[in-house]
Amino acid sequence: MKTINVKINGENYTREINEDMRLLDFIRDELKLYGTKEGCGEGECGACTVIMDGVTVNSCMVMAFQANNKEILTIEGMEDEKGLHPIQQAFLDEGAVQCGFCIPGMVLSAKALLDKNPKPSRKEIKEGISGNLCRCTGYNKIVDSIEKASQYLEGEDQ
Amino acid sequence: MKKNLEVVGKSVIRVDGFSKVTGKATYSQDLTMDNMLWGKTLRSTKPHANIKLNLTKAEVIPGVVRILTYKDVPHNHHGVVFKDHEVLSSGRVRSIGTPIAFVVAETEKIAVEAMKAIEVEYQELEAVFDPVEAMKEDAPKVHENGNLLYHYKLRLGDVDAAFKECAVIVENQYKTSMVDHAFLQPEAGIAYLEEDMVVVCAATQYPHFDQLEIAEALEVPTEKVKVLNPAVGGAFGGREDITMQIHLALASKLTGRPVKTVYSREESFVAHSKRHPMIMSYKTGADKNGKLIAMEAKIVGDTGAYASWAINVLRKAGVHATGPYEIPNVKVDSYAVYTNNPFAGAMRGFGATQTPIGHEQQMDMLAEKLNMNPLEIRFLNALKKGSKTATGQILEESFPLKECLEVLEKAFKKDAKGVE
Repeated sequence: MKTINVKINGENYTREINEDMRLLDFIRDELKLYGTKEGCGEGECGACTVIMDGVTVNSCMVMAFQANNKEILTIEGMEDEKGLHPIQQAFLDEGAVQCGFCIPGMVLSAKALLDKNPKPSRKEIKEGISGNLCRCTGYNKIVDSIEKASQYLEGEDQ
Repeated sequence: MKKNLEVVGKSVIRVDGFSKVTGKATYSQDLTMDNMLWGKTLRSTKPHANIKLNLTKAEVIPGVVRILTYKDVPHNHHGVVFKDHEVLSSGRVRSIGTPIAFVVAETEKIAVEAMKAIEVEYQELEAVFDPVEAMKEDAPKVHENGNLLYHYKLRLGDVDAAFKECAVIVENQYKTSMVDHAFLQPEAGIAYLEEDMVVVCAATQYPHFDQLEIAEALEVPTEKVKVLNPAVGGAFGGREDITMQIHLALASKLTGRPVKTVYSREESFVAHSKRHPMIMSYKTGADKNGKLIAMEAKIVGDTGAYASWAINVLRKAGVHATGPYEIPNVKVDSYAVYTNNPFAGAMRGFGATQTPIGHEQQMDMLAEKLNMNPLEIRFLNALKKGSKTATGQILEESFPLKECLEVLEKAFKKDAKGVE
């Protein structure tokens, strides 16, 4: 057993965990945050994407103890008191959501991209979500929605 | 009276969109219950074998509650058309991935450990993996009644006479491969009891039919089985056949406790159907102006170890073998054949996806031989409103293939200009 301190979605958690626990299982089974999904368990599909210290990681490929003293954002931390995050709103408005299983990871990859590059080109958007598989949409509407999210965020800043 | 439409013609936000962008949508792996057990499926690692099981070492592992085998299944058959799947193998496995036992334990880890502790003695049998080989008399039989499951015949006019009239004939064989749906959410489910009713929550495309199959396997009336379908993370045809639903229902009924199982991606690949690989032999002939006169096609579809939707899929492949073209003389034979490969079933297009690989390549090669533009030969032969298809259907509704081709023509011209 090992004790870890993690800040997730702005809240501090101290937990005793098994050394062989993945960050994904910590988030889902320990903290009951079921928005983070497991699609492959080997870092290929991106459904389990979370943002750790500003960088996207596949939480199935990170051990829980490696998240000690880190700050993590999951899909549950995207909304605030005003409601949906502009990226979430853009996904809704553009009809980028079908089965939805990739969406939490996709939204977080979009956030990590827009945080660094507020006005990405379509090519940069495609690169930004290249670690996230979607089997329903064909990606076009997801790329459209990230473009729209960039406009929403620009409008918010002004 | 003109009605005001609330949705048609308008862009609306999908009903489950909000729950999905916020991560609140519940998929079956997100369900947990108090006092819940975990199930794991032991699957065949050999494509064709007689098996003997020894549960002794697995049963004594602390935390193992029960190991289900075929002996626990009241009616050990299921299947969407033919009941050729066993819920759990009764002694002979016909493909890799065939379910053999379902281990129920206090935790997922214990269930996995116990699954690995089950000893399976495989007495391997000769297997067949090529559907053309499987059609031969002396091929190993996958099922007792032989490997040919279905033969669809389409006959129109007189192809033999018509080929003699052709100015040009193209003859080729085309093969398509097995494809997995790879829906993003691996299979998961949970079953529990509500008094004497068993409730199964699983990602499925066919909840009403699952209810029938569960009831039949458990030998209980359908009103004692409830199937709930939480959010489904993609399917594309791959969730039309039963995977875990009966295992879970039975485990819950026999233990009296909720039972959950989640497949890994790897297990998902061997557990559900595939797109039928097809071997398509095409012979197509036209006159000197490019007008199609005759077409002959033989299509062999590999349905693997189980029938699933093979009949419907190979029928559809046969019906669509001409492509969207008017041909006066047609002969099509399509076959669904059992092999020891993973089983094939429904996947987007349902048999109509494979044949264009054949009929469209034939069109291109005919155009090349006739020194015609590939679009021109398609315009010339395209079905239109009022046409009769090879199966005798008169197309009374719209059939805007020419309009589609015109859009393509414009795009090609634009592309060509871009290159200049």
